[in-house]
Amino acid sequence: MQKDKSLIKKITGSREASLVVVLIVLLAVISVMSPSFLSLTNISQIFRNNALTMLMALGMLCVMLTAGIDISITSVLAFSGMTIGLMQKYDVLHSTPLLFLVGMLIGTACGALNGLIISKGKVAPIICTMGAMYIWRGMAYVISNNSWASGADVSGFSDFGKEGSVGPYVILAIAYVVFFIVMKWTKFGRKIYAVGSNTEAARISGINVEKTIISVYAIMGLLAGLAGVLSVSIYASAQPNMQYGKEMDVIAACVIGGVSMNGGRGSVVGTFLGALIIGVIAKALPLIGIDAIAQNLVKGAIILVVVVLNVITQRMIDRQALLRREM
Amino acid sequence: MAGKSGRTIAATRESGLKDKLFSWEGALILVLIAVNILGATLSPNYNVTNILRESPRYLAEIFMLFGMAFILVLGDIDISVGSIVCLTATVGCLVSNAGHGVGLVILACLGVGLICGMVNGFVATRFTELPTMIITLGTQIVFRGIAEVALGSGGSASMTNLQSVAPLRAKLGPLPLSFFIVLVAAVIFIIVLNKTTFGRKLYAIGSNKTTAYYTGIEVQQIRFFSFSLIGFLAGLCGLFLLASTYGANTTTGNGFEMEVIAMCVFGGIATTGGKGNIIGGFIAAFIIVCLRIAFGQINMNTQLILVIIGVMLIVSVLIPSISTAFKKPKKKTS
Repeated sequence: MQKDKSLIKKITGSREASLVVVLIVLLAVISVMSPSFLSLTNISQIFRNNALTMLMALGMLCVMLTAGIDISITSVLAFSGMTIGLMQKYDVLHSTPLLFLVGMLIGTACGALNGLIISKGKVAPIICTMGAMYIWRGMAYVISNNSWASGADVSGFSDFGKEGSVGPYVILAIAYVVFFIVMKWTKFGRKIYAVGSNTEAARISGINVEKTIISVYAIMGLLAGLAGVLSVSIYASAQPNMQYGKEMDVIAACVIGGVSMNGGRGSVVGTFLGALIIGVIAKALPLIGIDAIAQNLVKGAIILVVVVLNVITQRMIDRQALLRREM
Repeated sequence: MAGKSGRTIAATRESGLKDKLFSWEGALILVLIAVNILGATLSPNYNVTNILRESPRYLAEIFMLFGMAFILVLGDIDISVGSIVCLTATVGCLVSNAGHGVGLVILACLGVGLICGMVNGFVATRFTELPTMIITLGTQIVFRGIAEVALGSGGSASMTNLQSVAPLRAKLGPLPLSFFIVLVAAVIFIIVLNKTTFGRKLYAIGSNKTTAYYTGIEVQQIRFFSFSLIGFLAGLCGLFLLASTYGANTTTGNGFEMEVIAMCVFGGIATTGGKGNIIGGFIAAFIIVCLRIAFGQINMNTQLILVIIGVMLIVSVLIPSISTAFKKPKKKTS
């Protein structure tokens, strides 16, 4: 009895543990319904198909930790991806590392601009990034001049992300390890948490809040730019409308992963699990016989159920804590 | 005058803000005039008849402006309206294709919109811990998902029975019906927000929810009502969109939520709640519509308008903080 209680408490108490339970249950149900699901090809495809979401979720984690939000990411992605796509089309640049560098620089610049407007101009993050969303998506269209970079244009470069190449997995792994270490054990990572938990307290304790916020958005931009390059490489083409509307998937991954929109709460492991859960669901639905058409419906319903369940469990925990205090 | 008590500072700041809001709407009107002059010089076809002919496509979006203004003044946000438009247009199209008349099509669109809004409102008021951004992010995906399922594998539906929306395309003189509805709605909502206790309650909630609750304002009922209202207006938008495009597909209404929020913000309504009014948003909406029509007529890269809207949006929200930054040194010297 006593043991049971503490186990439940552990699971409901730790966001990550409960997400692992959700993921295990999900995988168990899916593999019962479709025994071939847990194969290496399927699992690697889950990561490949969601590489962009998983990558950008890390940046979104940082942004949401400071109680902000960035909805311009897929526009930045399109702008950076379109730029490097066109660079290859018009034979400006063909070296893969340099193209990565250019994409990341563009992204960082876009992100830093967001950060500057938000911190120095005191503009609400959603409004600033909404403006940026229009600007960079529009710029992607303008520079493309109604054309797109096809598979032939990016042929040498797309080897990096083509089916079977380890490129995207390596980038994902490096990004997650780096972020895990930075967020947990470095001064900068803790500063982000401090700013998000209580901006005033952070300011008084000597943290340069504005600098932290600018760097957080710059990091988000860097990852979005990187995702743009990766997207061109994985899908072997660059169009100005790429990944349109997918910023909501990234936010959803963070929210499922337990990142609070009010700032200060969330972890790299949770973000990883949240993004993974979304990826597993998207991959599993066709396999267990749910029509691909219904995919969004199921995805949205799961997001709603998860966030509502989260509130209900939180209320239960609070009530129990109150009861214990009364006793 | 260095006011040492917090009270004086707050009082001076308030009057300054009021002046700013007044001039804000004035500035918007100037921008609107400038845009029209620009349009007239750029394109020989930019005249009243052509604007009126092209406007119904854009007018539908303005319906949602009023609801979004309420939601933003409350300090909430609703990013599911684009999907509600998609769902209502889909349902309306299917109802009409089933052979029903205009009455049932209208009822279906408005009803579905209202129900969607009520779902948002229900979740938002039952689980107040959740930011409305998250709730409507979920319902955004769900509502569009339902529309996708209803549309089937083709992903689009076109009307076979065009007669069933004919009354909605009616014109009173040169003006489309939706223009009059927008005008009437604008007058009603401006009065409600500015002159009634209900409107003032919205501002009170937006400024401080807890205080509003303790003063006896029915915070949750009002939030529920506002979410239902914007759902209903999104249904109205879907209805008129259906009537002007004769069909629906999975991308109908994509990005409408952001456009409507952009109109509100550009019009001076703060997303933090408790600030701004509909007149500003209404003028801003017409600025954007006129810009669109003007650029459409000279065949300018249509996506360039996205860049312009984005820049206008950021500049418009930056102006207040820039002007305070300029005012600050003045205060120090005096």
